[in-house]
Amino acid sequence: MPKITINGQIYEAEKGRTIIQVADDVGVQIPRYCYHPDIGIEGSCRMCLVEVKGAPKLMPSCATPIADNMEVRTETERVHQAVRYAMEFLLLHHPIDCPVCDQSGECWLQDYYMAHAGHDSRYPLGQKTRRKKASDLGPLVKLDQERCILCTRCVRFTRNVTKTNEIQVFSRGHTSAIGIFEDKPLNNPYSGNVVDVCPVGALTSSDFRFKVRVWFLKGTASVCGGCSTGCNLRVDHSARAAGGGIPGYSATDGKIYRTVGRRNVEVNKSWLCDEGRLSFHTLERWPRLRHASVDLSTIHARFESIRKQHGEDAVAALGSAGNTNEALFLLKKYFNGRVDFRLGQEVELYQQRQDELLRRLDKHANTQGALDLALAGGLHGLRGMRELAEQKKIRGMWISFHPQLVGEDPPETVGELERLLAALEFSVVSTTHEFEWARSASVILPMAAWAEERGTYTNYAGRVQITARAVMPPGDARPLHGLMAEMLNLAGVQVSTDPGAIFDWISRETPLYSGMDYETIGMLGAAPAQTPQEVV
Amino acid sequence: MTPVRGGYAVDVPVINVSERARLENATVWSTFQAFAVTLRRLFTSLFKGDTPTISYPEQTRPYSERFRGTHILTVRNDGSLKCVACYMCATICPAECIYIEAGEHPNPEVEKFPLRFDIDMMRCIYCGFCVDACPEEAIIMSREHHQSVYNRSETIYTIEKLMQRPGIDANGPGYRPNKTMAEARIFNKEEQKECAFPSAIQERHPAVLYESMIRRRE
Repeated sequence: MPKITINGQIYEAEKGRTIIQVADDVGVQIPRYCYHPDIGIEGSCRMCLVEVKGAPKLMPSCATPIADNMEVRTETERVHQAVRYAMEFLLLHHPIDCPVCDQSGECWLQDYYMAHAGHDSRYPLGQKTRRKKASDLGPLVKLDQERCILCTRCVRFTRNVTKTNEIQVFSRGHTSAIGIFEDKPLNNPYSGNVVDVCPVGALTSSDFRFKVRVWFLKGTASVCGGCSTGCNLRVDHSARAAGGGIPGYSATDGKIYRTVGRRNVEVNKSWLCDEGRLSFHTLERWPRLRHASVDLSTIHARFESIRKQHGEDAVAALGSAGNTNEALFLLKKYFNGRVDFRLGQEVELYQQRQDELLRRLDKHANTQGALDLALAGGLHGLRGMRELAEQKKIRGMWISFHPQLVGEDPPETVGELERLLAALEFSVVSTTHEFEWARSASVILPMAAWAEERGTYTNYAGRVQITARAVMPPGDARPLHGLMAEMLNLAGVQVSTDPGAIFDWISRETPLYSGMDYETIGMLGAAPAQTPQEVV
Repeated sequence: MTPVRGGYAVDVPVINVSERARLENATVWSTFQAFAVTLRRLFTSLFKGDTPTISYPEQTRPYSERFRGTHILTVRNDGSLKCVACYMCATICPAECIYIEAGEHPNPEVEKFPLRFDIDMMRCIYCGFCVDACPEEAIIMSREHHQSVYNRSETIYTIEKLMQRPGIDANGPGYRPNKTMAEARIFNKEEQKECAFPSAIQERHPAVLYESMIRRRE
């Protein structure tokens, strides 16, 4: 492997990597606009220039492959001057409308100006070139040409990643500008990513625009609950889990404002699909359940009496693939394995791709996890349980229901659930929202939704990833693993409500997860030893 | 004693305390002198009407040009709000009393404007940081300080109330660090004259009255 010296320190790196990639790996900071690890190299912004020994001029570190015995310096006066000049050039016609710009606070122009430039503009504000302000590129993205620095990250994203080529650079020289063709709006299913990759305020999200200033937000690393791919994302929510944090905003439960792709090379690179990106809005679609009418000891007593009267098998539970592994595991423990999770076609679909990039047809986050915990037993899913209930073989049931975050729940599922509730003697529905079909249940318990509970999802490839609690569940709502832990305590089994402790129990009992805990899963997830074969 | 222009809108002479103590020369005789002063003040206020007290709230003292009273949202020449909902005031506000909801302005040159701009006057500590932070001089302060209302909800001032309320410019604007006082106009109305600052000449400040007494004694 070639040896490369960066700022006097010798590193070994793989052949074929560029200087900036090696610098990123070892933690040397090089400023950049156009370089992004997942969309190909352009070399247009001239921010990442470094001094290479022997080279007559400064080299763009994003486009220079490393060579053996290369000596790179990133902190010399020549480099600083080059970066200052590049910044002055990029900011020459910048409108400095930071007060109304949505990027302000996370803008790379602001950051690098403070770190490397700090100059006064040579152009008075009135003489700067005016360009087209906020215009729609597509349903999710707005373009401001004045703020654009032509790094072409968005162009390369549509060219190399989605291969749809909607965004292009039009014209040449000082008139060149980012734009779209008149009859071809930016409406591919991954269009929101161009907002994430844009380092400045040129591309802003129509959904998030003007909702809140970014410095009021707190980011929580989590996992998307939209489908079985399990893309890593960051949930941006009001700064304190309780009490808002945004001046004058007094919501007690916190609020999610947006989700941003989080880089995980193994799963989703840096990308999110638009459906998943906006899936948190699903939680606002119906009114939330807030109040628990019955306490758990009553429910436990009722289940016990049914067990005594009609035998152990008269009580069962239906989880869903939207529940965390911890919740499903405790559900299985409490109901002695008489648990299923299949509402519809999850198991047939969960490994099938919806498109080339990320999306999968099963819109549940944890189908693989439920299978790993051996929840698909002889009960044959929702339909089978409904038939058993109609034959009076099952009399009492706990049904935990998470609505699909992406798309609608199939009407057949809702119909089956209604018939199941009608056939049951005693039914407990723990769910997140006030659903019409759940009205006929004996007991309705409010449950924490996605981003309101901590736990693990196992994605289609068997990768275990942590979904974090970003906001507090509203009212009395509690995560299912908390409810089930209390039920087990009532049944005489001592269980902690801490998801980490529950996962330790899972890893002891499930061979696939042995040796895993929350620490080894970490931010990027952990794949089990034997990875299941992907079905394409 | 040289008059200085301090926090008051009038000329106030500086009092040298040790000088005064020497002049007053504390003895039994000066005690009787003091009684004489009291007596003289009694008669002058009874018969000549020379009283330092005023009938508040019918009469008020003039306030400083930098008085930090209830906020004003300023407007452009066309009567629309100057505010672009940048949240700088809400960010700097130590009392977290400003609530803004931004919306998309139909004019892309303006881009952003406040759909809601509420100030909770009960939480506000009148520090004036919002005025300092504002990049557009969209929020300034007035010299108004009457906050009595019948209902607690009325203490939350909305856009309409912050923009125009009866008597908003009666006393002229207050704290407004980015404009010289001569330029201080609130609504850019043609008919509105240069903001009239209530002169201190008609009404004498109690401090002035007290000083005049000391001077007389000299």
